[in-house]
Amino acid sequence: MLQRSLNEKIFNVFNIIGFFLFTLLMLIPIMFVIKTSLDISQIGEVQLNLLPVEPSLLFYRMVIRDESVYRPFLNSIIITVSGTSLSMIINALGAYTLSKRELAGNRFFIYFLVIIPMLFGGGIVPTYLLIRALGLIDTLPVLFVPNAANAWNMILIRNYYWSIPKSLSESARIDGAQEFTVFFKIILPLAKPVLAAIALFTGVGYWNTFMAAVLYIRDSRKYTFPVKLRELIILGGDAEKNLEEMLMQLGLDPTEYFLSIEGLSSAMMITSMVPIIIVYPYLQKYFAKGLMIGSIKG
Amino acid sequence: MASSVSYRKNEKKLLNKTNIMLYIMILPPLFLYYLFRYVPMPGIMLAFQRYTISGFKYWAGFENFKYVFNTPFFWRAFRNNWVFVGFSYVFITPSPILFALMLNEIRVRWYKKTVQTISTLPNFVTWVVIAGIFMQLLSPTRGYVNQVIEFFGGESIYFLSKPALFPWLFTFMRIWKGVGYSSIIYLAALAGVDPQLYEAAVIDGAGRLKQTWHVTLPGIRNTIVVLIVLSFSRVLNGMFEPIFVLKNAYIESTAEILSTYIYNLGITRGKYYLATAIGLFKSLISMFLLFMANFLSKRVTEDGRSIL
Repeated sequence: MLQRSLNEKIFNVFNIIGFFLFTLLMLIPIMFVIKTSLDISQIGEVQLNLLPVEPSLLFYRMVIRDESVYRPFLNSIIITVSGTSLSMIINALGAYTLSKRELAGNRFFIYFLVIIPMLFGGGIVPTYLLIRALGLIDTLPVLFVPNAANAWNMILIRNYYWSIPKSLSESARIDGAQEFTVFFKIILPLAKPVLAAIALFTGVGYWNTFMAAVLYIRDSRKYTFPVKLRELIILGGDAEKNLEEMLMQLGLDPTEYFLSIEGLSSAMMITSMVPIIIVYPYLQKYFAKGLMIGSIKG
Repeated sequence: MASSVSYRKNEKKLLNKTNIMLYIMILPPLFLYYLFRYVPMPGIMLAFQRYTISGFKYWAGFENFKYVFNTPFFWRAFRNNWVFVGFSYVFITPSPILFALMLNEIRVRWYKKTVQTISTLPNFVTWVVIAGIFMQLLSPTRGYVNQVIEFFGGESIYFLSKPALFPWLFTFMRIWKGVGYSSIIYLAALAGVDPQLYEAAVIDGAGRLKQTWHVTLPGIRNTIVVLIVLSFSRVLNGMFEPIFVLKNAYIESTAEILSTYIYNLGITRGKYYLATAIGLFKSLISMFLLFMANFLSKRVTEDGRSIL
C-alpha cells in the first residue's frame, strides 16, 4: 500500500515537471520571436538569454509605417470583417431553410450542399481557370466570396435552431407573427451563442487566409498579411535593401543600424498573432463548452 | 386517404408566402456552391485533353495519365505524401491521446488550465507564422537552437536543408501546433468516464497505471476509434499550406507532396492538363478512402452513424 502511494507521488511529481517542460517548449519559441522583434542589436552576436540586448520598437514602427507591410495588414482586416459578416448572414439564413424538415426540397439541399461536394470537386486547376475567366484574379472579394457559404457551419447552426423549443415559435405564430418575424425576433436572438462561436472561428480562418491568396493574388498591393510574411521569410536577398529604404522612410540613417530581416518578420509574426490573442479567451469559452466539438468530428 | 389530404395540403403550401421566403433564404448558398463548386466540376475533363502548340484542344484519352505515371517527380510526391500519412498515424494521432491522459492525472486545477490555454493557442495561428517561428529558431546563423548547440561546443546545423530530417521536423511542428487543440475532445471524453468505475477498480486493488489501462482507455476507446476512422477521408488533404511555406530546393526530395506538386505543375508552370490528371487521381484515392471510412463508421459506432 505504502509502496503504491509512493509510486503515485513520484509519478505526480514527474507529471507536473513534464508538463512544465512541455509548456516551456511551447513558450520558448514564441518568446524567442518576441525577443527578436524587439532587439536591434548587431547581427551575429550570440546570446542565449531571451531578453533583447538593445530593446526598441523600431521594427513595429516599420510595420505601421511601411506601405508594403501595412497594406497587406489592412487587406487582411478588410477580408476578415467583410468575409465574416457575409458568411454569417448567408449561413444563418440558409440554415433556417435547412432546419425546416417538412419543406419540399430539403433533402435536395443537403445533397447539393454537403454530400456531392464531398465526393466530387473540380480540383485546384479548373477552379483557378474559372476564377480567372470570371476576372476575379487580383481582387479582394475572391478571398472571401467563393467560400462565404459553408455547408458545415450551416449544419451546426441548423442543429442549434432545432434545439430551440418549438413552443416558442408556435406561440408567436398563434399571436399572428409571420415566419419572417419568427425568424428575426425569436430564432436569431436565441441562436446568438452558436452564431458568435462560428463567427469567431470563421473570423480566425479569414484572418489566416493564405492558400487562396497564393493562388489568386499576384499584385503585391492585394497581398494578405500571411502572404507578405511568407515573402519576407523566404525572400532574404532583397531584404537588406528593403530595410534600408524603410529606415530612410522613418527618417533614420541606415548606416547607423545593422538590422536583420528576422527582426522585421518577427514583428510581423507577433502583429499577426495579436488579434488572435485578443479573441482567444472567447474562442476558449466556446471550444471549452464543446460547442465546436461537433465540427471537429466532421 | 390521409396521405392524399396531406399531399393536397402540401401542394397548396408549396409556394405560399412562408415557403417563398425560405427558398429565397437558401438561394445565396445554392448559388455560391453552384458557381464555385459545380461549374468547375466538368473541368476534370482537362485530365483527358491536351493542347497543341497552336492552342487547339484535342481528346487525348489516358495520355496525360501515362505521361504523369512515367515521371519520377510524380512518384516522389506520391511516396512523400504517404510517408507523411504514416508519420501522422504513428506520431500525431496518439499524441493528443497521451497528452489528455497525462493532463487528466493532474489534480491542480489552475495548473491544468494554464497548460491547456498555452498549448491550444498555436492551433489558431496560421501555418505561415508557425513555419516562420521554426525557421528562425532553427536558422543556422541566429537561430536559438544552433546558438545552444554552439554554446555547448557543437557545430551549427542547417536543419531545414536536410532532406532526411524534414519528415521528423514537420511532424514535430504539427504536434507542436495541434496537440493542445486535438486533445480537447479526448479530455471531454475522459470527463465522461463514470467515476464509480474508478472506485470499483481501487477497491479491487488497481493502481494508477492499471486504472488507466482497464478503466480510462476502454472508456474513451470509442472516441479514439471514431476519430481515427473519420480521419481516413482527409489523409491526403490539409498539408498544402505548411509544406508550401517550409519547402525549399534542398529538401524538395522529401517535402514535395501531391498538392504542392499539382500547384507547381498547374498554376506556376501552366501545365493544366497534367496537373488536373494528378488532381483527379488524388480525388479518386480520397473518394475510395471516404467510402472506406463511411463503411467502417457504420461498423464501429454504436448507432451505426455514417459519414455520408
